[in-house]
Amino acid sequence: MPFGLLKYGFARNYPARGLLPPATELKPRYDVVIIGAGGHGLAAAYYLATRHDITNIAVLDKGYLGGGNTARNTAIIRANYLTPEGVAFYRESMALWAGLSDEFGLNIQYSTRGHLTLAHTDSALRTARWRAEVNQHLGVDSELIGPDEVSRLCPSLNMSRETRYPILGALYHRPGATARHDAVAWGFAEGAARKGVEIHQHTEVTGIDIRSGRVTGVKTSRGPVQCNIVLQAVAGSSSLVADMAGLKLPIRTIPLQACVSVPMKPFLYPIIVSGSLHVYIWQTARGELVMGGATDPYPLYGTRSTLDFKEGLMAHILELFPFLSEARVNRQWAGMADMTPDFSPVMGLTPIENYYIDAGWGTWGFKATPIAGFTMAECIAGTRQPPLIEPFRLDRFDDFEQVGEKGAASVGH
Amino acid sequence: MTEDRLAPPYGVMLDRSKAVRFSFEGREYRGFAGDTIASALSANGVWLLSRSFKYHRPRGILSMNGDDGNCLVQIGPEPNVPADRQPISEGLRVTGQHYKGSLRRDRRRWIERFSRFLPVGFYYHAFFKPRGAWDFWEKRIRATAGLGRIGQAAPATEFDKAYAFADVAVVGGGGAGVAAAIEAAQAGSRVVLIERQQLLGGSLNHARFDPASRRGIDTAKALATEMDALGEHITVMSDAVCTGLFADNLLAVTSGNKLTKLRAGSVVLATGLIEQPAVFANNDLPGVMLGSAVQKLLWLYAVRPGRRAVVVASNSDGYGVALDLDDAGIAVEAVVDLRYTIAGDSLIREALDRGMRIIHGYAIERALPNSAGTHVAGIELRLRPGQESGPESRNLECDLICVSVGWAPAAGLVAQAGGEVAYDDTRCAFRIVSSPDGIVPAGAVRGEWDLDAAIADGRRAGRHAAAGGRHDSAIDEPTVTPESNPWPIFDSDKGKAFIDFDEDLTPHDIENSIAEGFDDIELVKRYSTVGMGPSQGRYSATNAVRLTQILNREPLGGAAGWTNRPPTEPEKFGLLAGRRFEPQRLTPMHHHHEAAGAPMMLAGDWLRPLYYGNDGESAVWREVTAVRENVGIIDVSTLGGIDIRGPDAAEFMNRMYTSEYSRQSVGRGRYALMCDVSGTVIDDGVACRFADDHFYVTTTTGGSTAVFRSMLWWNAQWRLDIDMSNVTGAYASVNIAGPKSRDLLAPLCPDIDLSPDGFPYMAVRRGRVADIPARILRVGFVGELGYEIHVPASRGAALWERLTAAGHPFDMCPFGVEAQRILRLEKGHIIVGQDTDGLTHPDEVCMTWSISERKPFFVGGRAIEMHRRRGVARILVGFTLPAATKILPEEYHLVVRGDEIIGRVTSIARSSTLGHPIGLAYVAPDQAEPGIEFTIKGPGGRLIRATVSELPFYDPQNLRQAT
Amino acid sequence: MKILHCPLNGPRNIQEFVYGGEVTTMPDQDAGSDSEWTDYVFLEANRAGLVREWWLHVASGYWFIAERDTSTDEVVRTFAPDRRAVGGRAPDPTGRS
Repeated sequence: MPFGLLKYGFARNYPARGLLPPATELKPRYDVVIIGAGGHGLAAAYYLATRHDITNIAVLDKGYLGGGNTARNTAIIRANYLTPEGVAFYRESMALWAGLSDEFGLNIQYSTRGHLTLAHTDSALRTARWRAEVNQHLGVDSELIGPDEVSRLCPSLNMSRETRYPILGALYHRPGATARHDAVAWGFAEGAARKGVEIHQHTEVTGIDIRSGRVTGVKTSRGPVQCNIVLQAVAGSSSLVADMAGLKLPIRTIPLQACVSVPMKPFLYPIIVSGSLHVYIWQTARGELVMGGATDPYPLYGTRSTLDFKEGLMAHILELFPFLSEARVNRQWAGMADMTPDFSPVMGLTPIENYYIDAGWGTWGFKATPIAGFTMAECIAGTRQPPLIEPFRLDRFDDFEQVGEKGAASVGH
Repeated sequence: MTEDRLAPPYGVMLDRSKAVRFSFEGREYRGFAGDTIASALSANGVWLLSRSFKYHRPRGILSMNGDDGNCLVQIGPEPNVPADRQPISEGLRVTGQHYKGSLRRDRRRWIERFSRFLPVGFYYHAFFKPRGAWDFWEKRIRATAGLGRIGQAAPATEFDKAYAFADVAVVGGGGAGVAAAIEAAQAGSRVVLIERQQLLGGSLNHARFDPASRRGIDTAKALATEMDALGEHITVMSDAVCTGLFADNLLAVTSGNKLTKLRAGSVVLATGLIEQPAVFANNDLPGVMLGSAVQKLLWLYAVRPGRRAVVVASNSDGYGVALDLDDAGIAVEAVVDLRYTIAGDSLIREALDRGMRIIHGYAIERALPNSAGTHVAGIELRLRPGQESGPESRNLECDLICVSVGWAPAAGLVAQAGGEVAYDDTRCAFRIVSSPDGIVPAGAVRGEWDLDAAIADGRRAGRHAAAGGRHDSAIDEPTVTPESNPWPIFDSDKGKAFIDFDEDLTPHDIENSIAEGFDDIELVKRYSTVGMGPSQGRYSATNAVRLTQILNREPLGGAAGWTNRPPTEPEKFGLLAGRRFEPQRLTPMHHHHEAAGAPMMLAGDWLRPLYYGNDGESAVWREVTAVRENVGIIDVSTLGGIDIRGPDAAEFMNRMYTSEYSRQSVGRGRYALMCDVSGTVIDDGVACRFADDHFYVTTTTGGSTAVFRSMLWWNAQWRLDIDMSNVTGAYASVNIAGPKSRDLLAPLCPDIDLSPDGFPYMAVRRGRVADIPARILRVGFVGELGYEIHVPASRGAALWERLTAAGHPFDMCPFGVEAQRILRLEKGHIIVGQDTDGLTHPDEVCMTWSISERKPFFVGGRAIEMHRRRGVARILVGFTLPAATKILPEEYHLVVRGDEIIGRVTSIARSSTLGHPIGLAYVAPDQAEPGIEFTIKGPGGRLIRATVSELPFYDPQNLRQAT
Repeated sequence: MKILHCPLNGPRNIQEFVYGGEVTTMPDQDAGSDSEWTDYVFLEANRAGLVREWWLHVASGYWFIAERDTSTDEVVRTFAPDRRAVGGRAPDPTGRS
């Protein structure tokens, strides 16, 4: 038994560490206001406080801590992107991820499972090779593997060539991992709060004060707050908050649904993704299958569930694992994804002085949590765009400098 | 073990004439047709059905509702089957699940002894040092996790889907639901009534409403008579569960192996109540059951739930249970009434009249286990503070504890549909506060618990739903609500008390979560996992919310639970997937390719031959050679085709594609490149002008649908005078290519002048080929004299056959996608999607020539102009490698310069025609001149030098295709 | 599965339709500034509330406009696209019709 548990066994009363700070009054003024107490906002607060000694920070959230997309994602972490910009960014993110449990003293359950992107077509194989080559070139462990190796890594996959979508190979990303999504937010929250950062849940920002092109404060459901700097980190509501600041974003808000099964004895260790089938699936330490697919077919500011999603997803899951027809779905849910035209985030400076943005997180925001916080803290402390997120600057669309991640999604002929 | 059943009228579900044998944990048992696994086993004295998730505690029947997590069993490859819902069948082999050794002697029982070391969220606080340790520990924790085991053999079951329609759907066939169905039908609506049991009536079949136990049955009979008179106006779906209620009243209804998608004008939700457990030490022991479960065992299955019972009651329902037990000849040791004040009603008076022992002023200390720890053997009570009328503690012997302490509305569907459910302080239970338009809660779920009131409410709801069900004004004040104990939670240090059975959570776990700072109920849920198990909080949310609010010193009234999500109970993947229809498109010549032994590849939805024969590489080379030296034929039916007709056809083409089409002559074809508004290349094809007002434009195989939609969209705005249709599937096409193609075709095309002058390169004609009406395009994708012949799809196979026959003397060879890729590469033609990506603009792929400067507008034109001002950052070039190169780079290997990624190889092949490898690659603009060398990072990271070459590689003067 | 009322085909399951983006106005081909063009290409209002958007009934190839509340998913009305609906001036750079 790990020693960490001994204190619980031998203490008379439960030795609570007080992971999340108790609620406090809102002060009239802070140096920095961060809108959004999700993983990204809390990570930015944490790194501002721990790396840049900026601690007079209020993190505001209209709901509960980590209750937006941090609570709703499917917890997959990887760096096997297509573009050098994307790979470099997520590579740094994974380096941070691996040390977070230690840094927090909280087990965020970072599990290196390996990540397989299945290729069912010739063009998918080509794209897999492209990603593998770019990854390797930048020091990320990815390779294109054949069907035999796929089968060895995941023996329960249906490898028949007679199916509608035969598995021709896969992009194998050995460091692909999962983490307990909620715990990440809690770890950042606890660490930030210890440094004096205030986290105000159920405190909605209703307006942003801008004078002469410079942000001066925010209006909230609990009264006005003055500040020098604002960071918005509200994936899912990015356009709405940006609109309060007078900014228009290259973002479409589209629900992303997922579901989870009743627990079963573990049979699946790696993360399995199929682009052609629009599914991904992995099994938690509790034995639940976590499953998701493509975003909804049209935009919505809502998290309702649909039957169509579940029907399509299950049909495709059964292509890969036909024996799962007797497994049971226990719960489905949805988050709201900020979809950008180039499948890449929007980060850093904005046309408004001291107003910073962390948005456009589409379906890939969770895996970026530490590095997004880290680079946004760097951006705010240094009032300039750090090189790692230079490609993700908001004004790239003004001169067609899109990031090429969409290339991975380019259609076959 | 012999089964022991009560005589009729007990056991309405059973067909006692049909004995059914089945096995559980390897032992044979006998039940009756109509039994569930749980009822049949309990009739045989088997009460231990499962082991709990974390501590492996013995568990058995809790609700007999089919939706709790306490009696999940394994049937062959199928895990997590609710034993209290699944019927038995002859020869069914059932086992327990989630144990090591045997269900009875689970070797993982030791885990509970270490529970002090495994507090709520224990895994957050350990297992992570040193770095990477979790990867080790997780595998060990995984090994003990999960519930049942999924079998990995091929599935045996077929699943189906059906669509159904109703004016009014009524979910729940209890008294209120049936009454609603009757009223709605009488109002002229087509009604579908959905009931989870096989029998309509709900609690009328098992609950006790009066001392004589007549009202339930009499009411059910009266309603049945009324319903029968309405005949086909009401469709009953019994043994069917509504698992979800989605937008615009789409109901997911599962029954057996079928998912019915029911669309309803309005919906009555008469889903009733879920009885809630009390929280006390050992409240999970088999033999501790909800009162309603006991009544179901008695009335539905004729099972004696025990020999000697103690009823724990906070309402008169508990007395109903006691009377039912007494009537069935089961000793009622006592009714322990937990209330401080007891309002006498007819059931209580009856119990008193029968001389039942009623104990007041005591709280529950714990359930006492038998020596094996697998069943209840008694109950220990303790005197409440302030009560001085008896001994401090009392022990009662019993083998059954019936818990009747309160109810929660089965409001999952209302909540999913957007209704609000909140805790009502005065009623000590959750209550539906609002319901969306078109969705009408009725009866007990709305708080109407008295039988007459519930049925009256059902009738009201039925009428309201028949009228559309908008704005359910009656929602705010139910007249009678069930009695619920406001605090059925008893602390004890004499055993574990469970607030969530699925997750083995105790009140201390909730308390400790709050102590960690997780104050919001959603955060409590996330940290403690309360409500995350198979029953999704149906049996834990009420108590968890009560506890959380009290510990947070927040008011209970108005408190909401955590967000309710579909499904209302677990649904099989197979039900959702159905028969898995996946569209797959086959060309009219597909069977000929199969007969020729061609392996197929997926291209969009289409299947295309890779090559012919089974000798792979040599087949491809043979096919390439045939085309270059002789003649070949390829099925190109997968290419898209769009007809554009009307006075504005040329103007429309001008706007959609980059070239200029207004000056294109009739009878000519022209390359057609399409961009989107950002100037990105998205498709290409050939535009054929068959008349002033008629263009036929081809698209890539994967592109036709998107291209056609885009065309429709633009013209919805432009309103040009054209008509367009996507004729992709209406035509079958082949390409005959090679120096002998003209000779081959000539005899088949008597009405077409095939001479070089009569039908020159890039001309298009209409006529007959082998007597089949055809559109013929003289194009040169593969770089030889060639004709693309498009015929009605119905004639495609005939065309293939006729051409194959005619090709015989010429040694014509069919060729597949592989050979075509090499041939077109030799000719330097790009494939959109392979040689382009999501950001490619025309100047990068040397398509500048295809962009007209004379047009005022085309889609993407302005963006292309802006791209030009910025200059290109990469250029697609042809390259060659020395003939001796042994290991070739592969497609999408990188072009590098030092550490920098410059571009990638998009196409590569060994050219048998040219005798050396050739390819296309993106390079930096300063590397684009022919003769310049650049570096490819090939297999295994090997750096390979390539030389930029002029395009095309083959026949640069176009002598061959233009002959 | 929602129901969408196609102006041409009546109420149909939403699976029969394809979403086509917000209704926007293309800037003038020549007079429009670069930033007007990039805004047109990349930016969307993405409002929470009533939005005009393009929908295609796939089977019949019919594009129409829906007014939908993007916070409730309620479709308030659908109608055939005409000049006015598309936003004042259709993108017709040639000046025809």
